[in-house]
Amino acid sequence: MKRYRLSFFVVLGLSVFFTISTFVYAQEKVTLRFSDWHLTEAPWDKTLADAMPLFEQRHPNIKVDLEPVSYKDKEPKYTVEIAAGKGPDIFHLHAFSLPMFFDKGYAKDLTPFIEKEGGAKFLEAWYPLCIDMMKHKGKVHAMPGDYMSMVLIYNTELFKEAGLDPKKPPKTWDEFLEYNIKLTKPPERWGVAVLGAKDPGFELRFSPFLWSFGGDYLTPDNKKSALNTPDAKEAFKYFIELYTKHKVMPPGVPTMNAQDVRTQVAHRKTAMEIGSGWSAPIINAINPELKAFDVLAAAPLPMKKKRVTTIWLSSWVMNPNTKHPKEAWELLKFITSKEMELNWFVKNRVTSSRKDVSEKAPEILNDKFASVIASQLPYGKVVPQIPQWPEIMDAFTTAVQEAFTEMKTPEKALADAHERINGILARKK
Amino acid sequence: MKIIPLATMKFFRIKDQHMWTLFVLPGTLLLVLVLGFPAIQSILYSIYPEGGGPSYTLNNYSVLFRDSVFRQVFGNTVLFVTLSVASHVLLGLGVALVLNMEIFAKPLFRLIALLPWVVPDVVVGIIWRWMYDPVYGAFNDLLLRIGLIPAHVQWLSSPKLALLSVIFVNLWRGFPFVMLILLAGLQSIPRVLYEAAAIDGASRWQLFVRITLPGLKKMLVVALALDIVWEVRRFGLIQTMTQGGPGNITEVLSTYIYKQYFQFFRFEYASAVAVVMTAALLMVSLPYIWMISQEE
Repeated sequence: MKRYRLSFFVVLGLSVFFTISTFVYAQEKVTLRFSDWHLTEAPWDKTLADAMPLFEQRHPNIKVDLEPVSYKDKEPKYTVEIAAGKGPDIFHLHAFSLPMFFDKGYAKDLTPFIEKEGGAKFLEAWYPLCIDMMKHKGKVHAMPGDYMSMVLIYNTELFKEAGLDPKKPPKTWDEFLEYNIKLTKPPERWGVAVLGAKDPGFELRFSPFLWSFGGDYLTPDNKKSALNTPDAKEAFKYFIELYTKHKVMPPGVPTMNAQDVRTQVAHRKTAMEIGSGWSAPIINAINPELKAFDVLAAAPLPMKKKRVTTIWLSSWVMNPNTKHPKEAWELLKFITSKEMELNWFVKNRVTSSRKDVSEKAPEILNDKFASVIASQLPYGKVVPQIPQWPEIMDAFTTAVQEAFTEMKTPEKALADAHERINGILARKK
Repeated sequence: MKIIPLATMKFFRIKDQHMWTLFVLPGTLLLVLVLGFPAIQSILYSIYPEGGGPSYTLNNYSVLFRDSVFRQVFGNTVLFVTLSVASHVLLGLGVALVLNMEIFAKPLFRLIALLPWVVPDVVVGIIWRWMYDPVYGAFNDLLLRIGLIPAHVQWLSSPKLALLSVIFVNLWRGFPFVMLILLAGLQSIPRVLYEAAAIDGASRWQLFVRITLPGLKKMLVVALALDIVWEVRRFGLIQTMTQGGPGNITEVLSTYIYKQYFQFFRFEYASAVAVVMTAALLMVSLPYIWMISQEE
């Protein structure tokens, strides 16, 4: 009886001890909210979910909660949450959303943390252009993530079937049209799919057409529309006629988003698309039977007057409302570290904004997609970084859709967009 | 220490005839908080200049009424709501009449008829977007097989068909709500009226026009008013199917406000559009509120 009583008190004592210690431990542990649209996409979702336990292991006092958000809904979600004094501690944006967030004060100034890490020397690891794009009023308010150029992704087997040499992808936009005509055999196959939906991915794919023809969206001072130049008109007409006149794009392009385009490529419905490092892994996830990594190839985008492509740059932002800035900075440092940037490439094929990764890692230099993407970075250009940009792009894609669907002639649609964009820029902010 | 109940203190004493204020107060405060605060906030935002206060201006309204896109969006909304509500009422009434008859497996058919209403807007939008796909879509495939169309149709990319295609999905998705209200109305019409009229030799059409429709009048007004309000606010379906495109053909007020607020960060202008939309909705729903208050 005495032994039982002793056992009872020992068990009771241990229970109390563990309850109290667990409570104290739980009190000390910081939970960070981490939100990223990649969490909704394979294979990124698994890569991120696998990486976080490593961070937690290295920082036992920090727990990371993963919060998926769709690519399209991220800005609305973060805007509402941050305006209400809440939101994830760390979130992922593409760089062209940053000016709007900076303008509203929705990104924490990272300068004090960077100073502690060594200031300018710490930032030397990244491409200067990428760091410049993270700055607001001269101070770094975000950290750069993936850094890629847009390239031509094409199916080598479909090239062979059409009697084209897969080792000789089109070099000019005129050649591009010839290839498309040879590849198009409706209703089985079309040459190229380009998204025409009002989607942030549109400008990544369309801009190289415009810039390569010598045109631009805005004047160099970003104060007026430049869509009334002969070069811009020629580029716009060329792009629209791929769908309306030459019919080398599949039906439904005006409502296609990036995933629709990739689905077309994955199921051999189209032979080419304009993509980047993420293309092959996502296409492979949509249809593994295609064997995307073997069948697909990458090439620099065709050119007209000059070689130019769009730069894709993503950014990691710290919420100004975070209650745990020190811990959030640790997480930011971890996800943008050399080790993790290389990990993102190995698992997801995205090249890095870190020079010490993109220019040195043998995994990147020897990869058939990444090597082409990296080779095009010097020809990269970014869309104007101004708060009015989403509205300007909406006016422009409206014109593209109006021309695609022949509601207006390309000339009229572009002229209307030109007027509207001038109206947007003239409005006082 | 002697404890004095609050109710015995003169300050806290309330006369019996004023007690109702105590009972009404929590609900009223909650309503003011939940409805009044955001409404006032929106109105205030709408009269701030773009970029924020503290001065006041009507410039947002002036810009709004001069904006050709807003006028197009307003017209789209009127067309979308009119066609949606009319088709909901017609189909809802038809199905309600059938389900009110003595038919085989009536509960099962009622359940099936309600199913589209249970599915969330976004899910409906995504499913139908795929069904309308010009290359892979099941809708084209079905119509081609039964010979109703000669070739694949671009339902959501065609300027002539895009809005009608969305309205068709909205008809499928929204008619069960009207049907449910009208079915309840049909069941409340006394059967003796039909029996008496039948004895007098009334035809089926006369029964419908003279007994069913007058008996459903109040329910029809309720269904119309509620459906109009709901359809003006319809967002998820259009956003997932077309995002307002091609061009601005399917852009309606709710998607336009969303775009202005969340994508362009034009909080003040979006608030002005929201105020105009609310005013328009109030004008439509006031007769309904008046009718309800008259009954009481």
